[in-house]
Amino acid sequence: MTANRECDLSDLLCPLSKMRATEIIDNLPAGETVRIILGDMDSVKSVVQELKARGMKPDFKQESENRFVLTVSKQ
Amino acid sequence: MEDRAEQEHTSRKRDQEPDHVLRVYSDITELIPSPENPTPLVRLNRINQNKDFQIYLKLERYNPFGSVKDRIAYEMLKALEVGKRTVVEPSSGNTGIALTCLANAWGIAVEVAVPQRIPEEKKIMLRFLGARKVWEADDSLCPRFPSEGARGLVDALIRSPATKDKYISPNQYENELNVQAHYRTTGPEIWKQTRGEINYLFAGLGTCGTIVGAGRYLKEQNPEIRVIGVEPSSATHRLPGMKRITGLAPEYIPKILDSSVIDETIEVSDGEAYKTAVELARSEGIPAGPTTGAILWAALNYASSHRGLAVVISPDDAFKYTSFYRDYLEGETGKS
Repeated sequence: MTANRECDLSDLLCPLSKMRATEIIDNLPAGETVRIILGDMDSVKSVVQELKARGMKPDFKQESENRFVLTVSKQ
Repeated sequence: MEDRAEQEHTSRKRDQEPDHVLRVYSDITELIPSPENPTPLVRLNRINQNKDFQIYLKLERYNPFGSVKDRIAYEMLKALEVGKRTVVEPSSGNTGIALTCLANAWGIAVEVAVPQRIPEEKKIMLRFLGARKVWEADDSLCPRFPSEGARGLVDALIRSPATKDKYISPNQYENELNVQAHYRTTGPEIWKQTRGEINYLFAGLGTCGTIVGAGRYLKEQNPEIRVIGVEPSSATHRLPGMKRITGLAPEYIPKILDSSVIDETIEVSDGEAYKTAVELARSEGIPAGPTTGAILWAALNYASSHRGLAVVISPDDAFKYTSFYRDYLEGETGKS
């Protein structure tokens, strides 16, 4: 997946990160891909849970100890 | 920033003791209760059939902003070094309303995080009062606080690198001033109003500030006084402000809870609470919130097998719960 945009939420803890990620996904146009950067595992778990509930399968990559990237496409 | 904080602090100090006889006040915060200006204690004469077990309601609706939470909001906000930050607090409504009113009087910005399931009336009140933002949180919003999304949200605002410098929280679940407010006012008021004759104190469990603070004071005056806590019989309930403590994992139990003060805990269902609140309104003319119904239900059950004088904390009035009462009354009509 090649992302069209990137949103850095690494300075927000869960559930603020989850709320912001949900807004981003809701506003993402169909066919576009976004890289969501998170800073802690609680945020990763809750955002992934939210995406799965919407039938979305994110790609996950840990870039460093405090930098996790979810790449999500909207159909 | 320090200058402003100091100015705020100074403006929150009272110039002189208010005159509670003439009841002319220099600002609304002087109406916060104290042993010299207590909330009323009213005897129940019709709903309670046992003359050997007298029940008095401590009507906290007569606080200036309408609930028992006015006492703790005043103590916590008075002590908070706000500076340029925004005050944020999780609340099922009453603490948020009290904090917003006080903050308005003192020129402080407030945001409140509320559970989605609280009555619309309370959310409207917070907006009416001008809370800068009312966050609505689903109970399952945050895995760190599995059943309390509003608490999790405020915790994240206070700890996130992006927001932590902008917010400060009184944190009623952990703030010892929550207990102290009741130790200094509610407890002494009850002791004075009952002339030391109280035998039983009934209070709801939520943050647990009321029962711990008032209960501790009363037990210090007379160790024989029994303190009875009331909690919902189910974790999912329609008794805003109450919390089921039984079965909670230790990390979710309010840190200010001193369980040594509580002699017994009684569980009450929503149905029992609402039925009792409606009976209270219809038999005594006292329109109280559903948590009053829950606490009173426990006291009325005690009345069948005990003697003495009981004080029941009535946290607030019925008017903030009309939509919840509508649902109950529609069910009541459907049954008839």
